[in-house]
Amino acid sequence: MKLEVVGKNILRIDALSKVTGRALYPEDFYMEGMVYGKTLRSKVPHAYIKVDTSRAEKIDGVIKIFTHKDVPNNKHGVVFKDHEVFCSEKVRRIGDPIAFVVAKDRKTCELALENILVEYEEIEGVFDPIEAMKDDAPKVHGDSNIVYHFKIRKGDVEEGFKNSHVIVENTYKTHMVDHAFLQPEAGLSFIDEEGRITVIVATQYPHYDREEIASALKIAEDKVRLINANIGGAFGGREDISLQIHLALAAHELKMPVKVVYSREESFLAHSKRHPLIMKYKTGADKDGKLLALEAEIIGDTGAYASWATNVLRKSGVHATGPYFIPNVKVDSYAVYTNNPYAGAMRGFGATQVPIAHEQQMDMLAEKLGMDPITIRLKNMFKKGSVTATGQVLTESVPLQECLERVVEKMDFPVGEKEAY
Amino acid sequence: MKKISLNVNGKDHILEVEEDMRLIDLLREKLGLTGVKEGCSEGECGACTVIMDGEVVNSCLVMAFQAEGSSILTIEGLGDEENIHPIQQAFIDVGAVQCGYCTPGMILAAKALLDKNPNPTEEEIREAISGNLCRCTGYNKIVQAIDRAKEVLR
Amino acid sequence: MKKIGRGIGLSFYGTGYGNGFPDVSKARVRLLEGGKVGIYVGGTEVGQGAKTVLTQIGAETLKMPVEDIVFVHEDTVHMPDAGTAAASRQTYNTGNAIRVACENFRNKLKELAREHLALNSIYGLKVENGKIYLDFFPQKSLSFEELFEKSSKGDIEAEGEFVAQTVMMEEETGQGAPYWPYTFNACGVELEVDTLTGLVEIRKAVFAQDVGRAINPHLVEGQMDGGFAMALGYVLFEDLNLKEGKINNNKFSKYLIPTAMDTLEIEKIIVEDPESTAPYGAKGIGEPTMIPVGPAILNAIYDAIGVRITELPVTPERLVKAIQEHEKEKGEVK
Repeated sequence: MKLEVVGKNILRIDALSKVTGRALYPEDFYMEGMVYGKTLRSKVPHAYIKVDTSRAEKIDGVIKIFTHKDVPNNKHGVVFKDHEVFCSEKVRRIGDPIAFVVAKDRKTCELALENILVEYEEIEGVFDPIEAMKDDAPKVHGDSNIVYHFKIRKGDVEEGFKNSHVIVENTYKTHMVDHAFLQPEAGLSFIDEEGRITVIVATQYPHYDREEIASALKIAEDKVRLINANIGGAFGGREDISLQIHLALAAHELKMPVKVVYSREESFLAHSKRHPLIMKYKTGADKDGKLLALEAEIIGDTGAYASWATNVLRKSGVHATGPYFIPNVKVDSYAVYTNNPYAGAMRGFGATQVPIAHEQQMDMLAEKLGMDPITIRLKNMFKKGSVTATGQVLTESVPLQECLERVVEKMDFPVGEKEAY
Repeated sequence: MKKISLNVNGKDHILEVEEDMRLIDLLREKLGLTGVKEGCSEGECGACTVIMDGEVVNSCLVMAFQAEGSSILTIEGLGDEENIHPIQQAFIDVGAVQCGYCTPGMILAAKALLDKNPNPTEEEIREAISGNLCRCTGYNKIVQAIDRAKEVLR
Repeated sequence: MKKIGRGIGLSFYGTGYGNGFPDVSKARVRLLEGGKVGIYVGGTEVGQGAKTVLTQIGAETLKMPVEDIVFVHEDTVHMPDAGTAAASRQTYNTGNAIRVACENFRNKLKELAREHLALNSIYGLKVENGKIYLDFFPQKSLSFEELFEKSSKGDIEAEGEFVAQTVMMEEETGQGAPYWPYTFNACGVELEVDTLTGLVEIRKAVFAQDVGRAINPHLVEGQMDGGFAMALGYVLFEDLNLKEGKINNNKFSKYLIPTAMDTLEIEKIIVEDPESTAPYGAKGIGEPTMIPVGPAILNAIYDAIGVRITELPVTPERLVKAIQEHEKEKGEVK
């Protein structure tokens, strides 16, 4: 196949507008008669709440204060509808949205937020996913904190370990981190010339945002229009709803353009985080370094909301073996609610965490066997035709060995010697 | 309210500003120069970088009234589609732009560096842009772009 | 004392929504004034380069320069749903939808050209460089611009759809084909650990990334540099400092991400092994480019100082503490 455009270093199409500062991000849009919005967020991680907006409403310049009572369908969420647009009875994390003030300017918004009275009746919170899995733990939603349990059962791990010459067992812990994209969330909503609720934002999936807005406001999707401005980075942090429904609701009710710009601090509260995982690994190999068995238990803290927890922990589970053929595999991965910030999508989506475990396990097995880390990988790695732990055949485009060999060559790693690297 | 006069991108302005107004707000909201970006509001990310009297400043940390009598360059004044600056061109050619949010500040930090030191080493380039955060590029292509621009500008 | 260590990390990554969930991308292609071609698609440019790569796929399929393609992906009023810009799925999934839409568009153009050129069939017609012509008698030719003028303005369009193939896993055994395609990579690093301060400095890195086929090598390199930096921050210093549900490091003066002083020029190797179901063989690499870096760093730290770090992040304090504990244990054994 002769290719003329594919494979060429075509200059980025959006580069010129970005180097000249002309590229518009959501906060760069201004409209005639525009007013501002700001979100009141929970200051405590777990509490029943009572909200009184009456004093704030009397402040000069306050146009409206929205709470759960103003939302026709107060639910959203990428997989489970476990987020509330505004918390109605209970807050489940610090930063949960409680109310949305619309006022003539930003200073008035700030003043109004200070004058909304929130009565918190605090309840015991749970911040450790292992504690949260226990029957007597405080419940974040419903009657169990376990959101999801994924299993792989392949072969017989007991038999695999029995036949193993070396076994390595460890527990690994990864932490919660933020996408830290450079552009904090912002948006502008208005009613367009055809009467559509229009929201300018920076989002990874405009059609999803449209669906959630239509669902929350109980209106038809074609009455909602999403305009995606330039986006200042995302990395998974712009998949869940943040300010989209607040903006749409305000423009819909007030029929005036409404603008919101989050500060960096609010951005940290508003979007998801990377799931912290606790990964208990047991890996066995024969005396030639062939992997025989893997048993892994992976517990993911999804914080106060599920977001993509099911899909993330599924991805952790599927990738738990690393890119290696293992005949006997037992994996259990769990997603668990706590009162921590909510975790969702972030670059690698559960598959970024598991190599922290499986790649160190490989080096430890090699060391025990007196083998170098490259050789043990070469003996076990996926090749064309390999079968994964879920029974999937990798029929084509599996150039892992080439990747490894080229790195080994450039790093000048010793291969076949009884030493590491 | 205070009346201040300043020069922005070669144009003189006399403006009424509130006491608590920051330079970034003046540039973005009074003059419509939205190429000045706000990423952290505490002088850590450098997205709001402008050049003030030849020095790089974080415009979120400068009060508007402090800009009295100063001369300011923002990305809009550096070059546009018809008259692009070699640093901007180098960023395009090398592929130093991804989401673009850090780009204006990054380019201005590079401009201030090259004005003072026309032949910086890689280390000096990295140091000069270390006050400008980028989450997308890992900085390498940005460093290369500045290195290329230096050759063009010499 | 400063100690040098080297380490490696390997990974695989399944792209797309996966697990049998319908993963659909749609695209629309339309003839525009002046013979330009509009591609309308809901695929988002988050900085990764989707706009450029997807335009390249369209330009390749229509055999025309990228300058003559107008890529519209901002407004839900104008664009069909192409799924989320996540799961490293835009190049593969939406790229495929665009390729299909452009192929359908090409066939439509041939059909219209046959009518306007008074030909009996479409066989032998070629679409290239903004015109439709008969390969063996090039005088029979119609430019896109002429075709637009002859049409009732803007009604020449075609759509394309791509639905990815995965198989839902069985609940009790996890047996199934949850993702397709998979992307592979390897990363090697050499670093220096200061055993007194606990600081880790990367001295050298080599990163090989399987891409199926690189649509735009510079953009692939940009992802590799960016993924490397993000992984470096993840493993060595990014920390929300979470206490009882509260994010204590909630600003950039406390939540530290890598600066230009923390990163280094890395040797990037693009490995091509085209995937037959992908647009021109290209697989998604946005997420994979971060994955093998962390474990390579951890293995290198062990190689340098003989201490296994099993908890992230490897902050200087944690590393110094681990070194001290290790020394103590060694002393006790003696």
